[in-house]
Amino acid sequence: MKKYIIIVATLFTAGISSCKKDYLSQEVNPNAPSVTTPQLTLAAALNTSANIVASDYQGQGVWAGYFTTSGNYVPNTVLNQFNLTTADLNGDWGSWYGNLTNYNLLQNIAAKDPSLANFQAIAIIMKAYGFQHLVDEYNDVPYSQAFQSATNLFPAYDKGQAIYEDLGKQLDNAIKIIQSATGAVSPGSSDIVFGGNMTGWLKFANSLKLRLAIRISSKFPSDALVTDLASTESIGYLDGNLDAEANPGYSDVSGKQNFFYSGFGVDANNNPGGNEVYYRAPAFEVNTLQSYNDPRVFSLFAPVSSDWPAVVIRGNTFGDPLAKANPLTSSIGPGLAQSSSQNSVLFSGAESLFLQAEAVVQGYLPSGSAGLSTGNTANGAVAGTAQALYEGGVVASFIASQAGGTYAPVPDDGTGNPATATQTPTTPNFVWTPPTAATSAALAQTYLQQAVPNVGWAASVPLTAIYTQKWIALTGLFPFEAWNEQRRTGIPAIPTSVDPNKVNPIPPYRVLYPTSELTTNATNLGKEGTINVFSSKIFWAK
Amino acid sequence: MKKLLLVSLCFLVLCVTQVFAQNRTVTGTVTAKDDGQPFPGATVKVKGTNSGTQSNTDGKFTIAVPPGGSIVITAVGYVSQTIVVGNQTNLKIALELSATALTEVQVTTALGIKHNSKELAYAASTVTPKDLTQTNVTNLANGLTGKVAGLGVFSLDNGIDPSISINLRGFRSLEGNNGALIVLDGVPVPSQTISAINPNDVADVTVLKGAGAAALYGSQASNGAILITTKRGSADGKPVVTYGNSFQFQKVAFYPKLQNGFGQYGGEPNYIDPLTGFTEQVPYENQLYGPPFDGSIVQEGAPLDSANGKVIHAVYSALPTNPIESFFNTGYTEQNDISYSQGKSAENSFFISAQNVTSTGVVPNDKNLKDAFSVRGHTTYGIFSMDYSVGYTKTNVSTYINNGKNTLGLGGGFTNADLYTTVLQWPANLNIKNYSDPSSDIGNPSNFYDAYAINPYWTVDNARDNYERDQILSQLKLKLDPTKWISASYQLSNNFGIYQDRETKQEVDFTAYGISDYFHAGNVPSGFTSGKSLGQVYDYYAFGDGTSNGYNRIEGEGIVDFHHNFIKDLRTELILGNDVYQQYRKNQTTGSSQLLIPNLYNINYIGGLISGSEASYTIRQIAYFADVQIGWKGWLNLEGSFRNEHDSRLSAAERSFSYPSAKLSFIPTDAIPALKNNNILSFMKLYGSISQVGNINVGPYNIYNTYSLAGGFPYGSLGGLTANTGAVSPTLKPELTKEIEFGAEISFFHDRLYFNYSHYSQHDKNQTVSVGTSIATGYSSQLINVGETLSYGNELTVKGDILTQQANKFGFSLEVDLSNNEGRLLSLIPGTNSLSLGNNEYAVVGLPFPYLEGTDFQRDPQGRVVVSATSGYPLQDATGIHGFGRTTPEYIASVKPTLSYKFVSLSALFEYRGGYVVYNALGSTMVFAGSSALTAEAGRQRFIYPNSVIETAPGVYTPNTSISVVNGQYGFWQGSNFSQTQSPFVTSGAFWKLRELALNFNLNKFVKESKFIKGASITFTGRNLFIWTPKSNIWTDPEFSNAGPNGTTPGVNDTNQLPGTRVYGADLKLTF
Repeated sequence: MKKYIIIVATLFTAGISSCKKDYLSQEVNPNAPSVTTPQLTLAAALNTSANIVASDYQGQGVWAGYFTTSGNYVPNTVLNQFNLTTADLNGDWGSWYGNLTNYNLLQNIAAKDPSLANFQAIAIIMKAYGFQHLVDEYNDVPYSQAFQSATNLFPAYDKGQAIYEDLGKQLDNAIKIIQSATGAVSPGSSDIVFGGNMTGWLKFANSLKLRLAIRISSKFPSDALVTDLASTESIGYLDGNLDAEANPGYSDVSGKQNFFYSGFGVDANNNPGGNEVYYRAPAFEVNTLQSYNDPRVFSLFAPVSSDWPAVVIRGNTFGDPLAKANPLTSSIGPGLAQSSSQNSVLFSGAESLFLQAEAVVQGYLPSGSAGLSTGNTANGAVAGTAQALYEGGVVASFIASQAGGTYAPVPDDGTGNPATATQTPTTPNFVWTPPTAATSAALAQTYLQQAVPNVGWAASVPLTAIYTQKWIALTGLFPFEAWNEQRRTGIPAIPTSVDPNKVNPIPPYRVLYPTSELTTNATNLGKEGTINVFSSKIFWAK
Repeated sequence: MKKLLLVSLCFLVLCVTQVFAQNRTVTGTVTAKDDGQPFPGATVKVKGTNSGTQSNTDGKFTIAVPPGGSIVITAVGYVSQTIVVGNQTNLKIALELSATALTEVQVTTALGIKHNSKELAYAASTVTPKDLTQTNVTNLANGLTGKVAGLGVFSLDNGIDPSISINLRGFRSLEGNNGALIVLDGVPVPSQTISAINPNDVADVTVLKGAGAAALYGSQASNGAILITTKRGSADGKPVVTYGNSFQFQKVAFYPKLQNGFGQYGGEPNYIDPLTGFTEQVPYENQLYGPPFDGSIVQEGAPLDSANGKVIHAVYSALPTNPIESFFNTGYTEQNDISYSQGKSAENSFFISAQNVTSTGVVPNDKNLKDAFSVRGHTTYGIFSMDYSVGYTKTNVSTYINNGKNTLGLGGGFTNADLYTTVLQWPANLNIKNYSDPSSDIGNPSNFYDAYAINPYWTVDNARDNYERDQILSQLKLKLDPTKWISASYQLSNNFGIYQDRETKQEVDFTAYGISDYFHAGNVPSGFTSGKSLGQVYDYYAFGDGTSNGYNRIEGEGIVDFHHNFIKDLRTELILGNDVYQQYRKNQTTGSSQLLIPNLYNINYIGGLISGSEASYTIRQIAYFADVQIGWKGWLNLEGSFRNEHDSRLSAAERSFSYPSAKLSFIPTDAIPALKNNNILSFMKLYGSISQVGNINVGPYNIYNTYSLAGGFPYGSLGGLTANTGAVSPTLKPELTKEIEFGAEISFFHDRLYFNYSHYSQHDKNQTVSVGTSIATGYSSQLINVGETLSYGNELTVKGDILTQQANKFGFSLEVDLSNNEGRLLSLIPGTNSLSLGNNEYAVVGLPFPYLEGTDFQRDPQGRVVVSATSGYPLQDATGIHGFGRTTPEYIASVKPTLSYKFVSLSALFEYRGGYVVYNALGSTMVFAGSSALTAEAGRQRFIYPNSVIETAPGVYTPNTSISVVNGQYGFWQGSNFSQTQSPFVTSGAFWKLRELALNFNLNKFVKESKFIKGASITFTGRNLFIWTPKSNIWTDPEFSNAGPNGTTPGVNDTNQLPGTRVYGADLKLTF
């Protein structure tokens, strides 16, 4: 009997063991892919970059003079009193590194296959774009040892200036790759910025080089980045005819709206987005625009609902602990939050024109040379001169921000509710009719003819006017770029917070490294020494 | 093969014939010698066999005995008797109290093997059904609370369907599961399935505390195991019907201390009297920093609508009942249980039970309905036997949707406002009951008085989470006992269920007047300029174990047990086994936030796109195990076990791993003649064990990096993938726990005083940890095997029969359970010494884990708070994170006195937990709201921050005796760093609770004359009647925490945890 039982048991066990190999093989994940394609990675990474620019820098936008915090809420001590901790305003650290990881993977995959040269070049350009944001925010960051998770869990920090200089070389490299990529696959629709038009990428790369050079030039005017500008000048730059704008196919469906619009406009159910309620117009910018007779004040900001149907634009004072409630202030206007399918701008033509204008004024690029944009010649300026480029920037900004649009009351549906979908959610509702580009351009020309400093070229100190108009042109959509320029130039002089409990007279020069670095990379971070947000400046700041 | 079958068959037939030919039936009555009363539940066995039965409620039994055979009658706490049957047909047995009452118990151990507790070489505690259900718990886990030293029951909350996890001997895995394995009738079941088991069906529960005791279950039982054995049928041929009914009330009892002196104000500049600078009451505020109550008449909310302008007024003074007591209902629970059992003997028996539990919660509209049916039995046919059980449980729960309960991603719109938060910030002068109809003119969303909150009654009426669990637990065990020394069994089990969850939110149509925002306050309706918040529906279906994310489990387990004593006095047993299981689950969601038709919650009628998802997971494991036991004369016992596992979650190279264990026990009172029959020292056992077990903390498919759909994608036909930020690796291995355990069991004075002590130490290596890495590496975390932890502790049980109950006299017994658990993280990857576990909790090298850390004020070297020399407000320490303490109890103690007199008994259970801290995030909410009593402690006057200093020069601190806070109202409590700093809300988590109180009347003797009713009892019960906490804890019951049931981060509560409740009621049990 014993024998039989042992035999039965053995047979039984053996039966199970024999199928063990297949039975236990569970390595294919039915829930998520472990491979990707260059197209899938590129489309996602570009959209993520655009979202970061649109959504990670509202706090910095308060310091750049673009937003004030709503009186509906308990005052925000970080934004108004500057008591920053390692958990504040540094979400972009993780967003960018996560995003750049995808470009890095794409670059590595594409480098192995010559037919993917265009993908490789775009990945390099976008890495430069992202790393510039990181350096501008944190100065020294991991760069040369980044993205080495398999071999190095503790990447050392590189100097901000060294990173800047290498980014210039990387951009040159990307330009060469594109120029020599014959017969390479076009990224096509997966390139949600230029739709596979590699000339666009060349100009984007070249404009990025210009942005790096201008940023560094204030302190290091003879840095190689600056002196080398002429070498790629002939490629040309972004301008009013070519912005770097991403659009994967935004639509008025929950989760698929343009990111800026879903925050500052309305959600898919036509109710106000969170940023619209929280960030209100700033009194300083509203007053500045009004003093310049600038029609953009009516498109950049929405009318105050409690004054409606009178169109009144009113902002809060920066840091006012008794800030007015939302019905008494303006929200971001319909010229910025235009529609759920609007493009996400990575680099605006207006900004590129102002950068070119500065390069000409500073003598980094020769006035009127071939690679420069034409700019605005309607007022008699010669193409490619500082004035034409400056005025071109203003015109581009007027068109982009829909200066000259009109407001009208919304018809009632008879039950007290609006009869039609509305453009912005401020109560009571109104219908916004955007202008044609020609209308905006004409308004710009009139505007530029004013003999007002920082408006009309003849009446202005060139650099001051360029900086001021660039600040206006970057309103809302580019709070980070504006904050960078504010820290570089100090123009315009934005009044500081009036919060009596502020811990420093002026806003921080930078933010702190995030808590995650403190806990995961402490040794390397420690080598950066103590960071004081009021005195530890980014390397390019004077 | 054919021949083999034939031979087996012949053999069977022979055996069976033999059995049937020779047995004869005897009946008998068992009584207790001390009081002469019938003795139910005594085990009657034929000597030398496993065949046996139990005495019924009249003490009677029937058993088949071979000629010349003897029967053995045993009962816990009584001396065993062996009776040679001879020609007798009606036996009378009187049992005598045993000298070793507490130490000779049959204990169910791993794989369902019954052992005499004397032989065990590890800590195993048994909880009897009486102890388990003495206060009519509806969840078995609650019944275990405080009953076993070293066992901790953690409640996620005390809502209508609380999640509970059971932990043994503290935490050892940093990020993996620390929950005990639940084994039902020999089958491992998912931990949350414990709520599906009818507590009244349980015959006994054995708690195997250590990894060693449970080593045969392998990796699943690295955290110990709870073995639940359910009832089988009666054994005396007569049908027994029991019926039980209990009714219990639940009332909110322990809630945060509230201020009742001040009304609404929240920093509005236009509500400051320009002449006096005093604040005025703000009719629409959700913060309570207004002027003191003065009995005047004030306005509440905006005029009702623009047409009639009706204004709501309230007296500006506190109502007698606070909003918390007014809002929460008295919940009730009614349980009806019925069971039927019949059988000729324990070998051939049958049991059916049915249970219905209906509960309503303290939150209006909360309901929980549970129906459970089970059929079980045991059939023996010669050398074959079959044991089976099938249980079906259906649970329907309906509850409100809250921030933390909104599990399916119902989002946006109107709204995720927190129900309890709104109640917590309700002004003391406003009657919350007036708003109980959310469609009334003052209760509706457009007119609600509070500009920034949702009427909580709207939430309970219109934002609902309805879910349903259908759970089937089934098991079939076939056994063959061909000879005395060998048995073989095969057990098949399938536990599965379906979970269906639907969350809905009703459409709200706002009036134009509401949207127009009368006060220009930025009120809730003004966020809905479209005029509507559309209805929402989200559905979740899961096939698995019937809970939201549990696994279906199919398992086959074959065991061959050889037990033959080759040499006299040397007991030897060898068990060989094979175990194969598959776990599977699949879940899908569909939802929309844009329902077209109000009240039609159907995914077909929506605007926009359906949001949906699916996932499925399979886990497979094959294991082989062996267990050898050697005993010498009963006083020296050695057990060795070995298990080898192959698991599909790991890559082929890492898949196979083994667990050895060795255990030794020695009984000096039996071994040493001088100690035998000693009147003082009745029993002594010393034991020790060493074991190693693994714990697979790698999820299925979690060894290769994956990509996921990037946010927003697909846009039309354009897809986009992004790399996941958590990196994994195919080289992952199981965690390894090495456990050393030793202990002693000693009893004195004929067992009237009993001690059981054990010490354990667990050393865990290769922890599977998601280590945070700089995202600059490309990934924000890496799942790797790293980190060592140490966990050790002591458990002591003392039982004393202080007064032994003789007939009609007082009896008093006392049991005390004490345990402590110490642990710490020994090492992590070089370069980091802290691992974030989430929920503000960390594992830090050298400290116990999880360890609460958070923000604190600046402090001088003496720990005094540094305040600003100008404002008097405390300064926040911006530089770092401050450690507060461990979040799991270091000490757990329970005290169980039982007093009895005649037919009445009173028993109580007090439980203490201490040595840990709790972060009351709820406190921060209440300071924001201005409703906490803390905010009124200084009467809203300026005050000097207690024990504070001023930094007069760098590093020079002077005690602050003169700088009071510039504003003692809104300014300090809201405008300073106070409410945004965590340290003010961290308190000791210590508490004493009167867990259970039961007053039982055993009416058996009064119904004895009735032929119909055989037994009756009435019990008055109470659970969690009182709680005592340190004075510093003005917040809430520290027991509840917001981390998931198997999460490693308890110790943080917020407004998702409802206030503590007490439960009391009565039950009636009848036996027919």
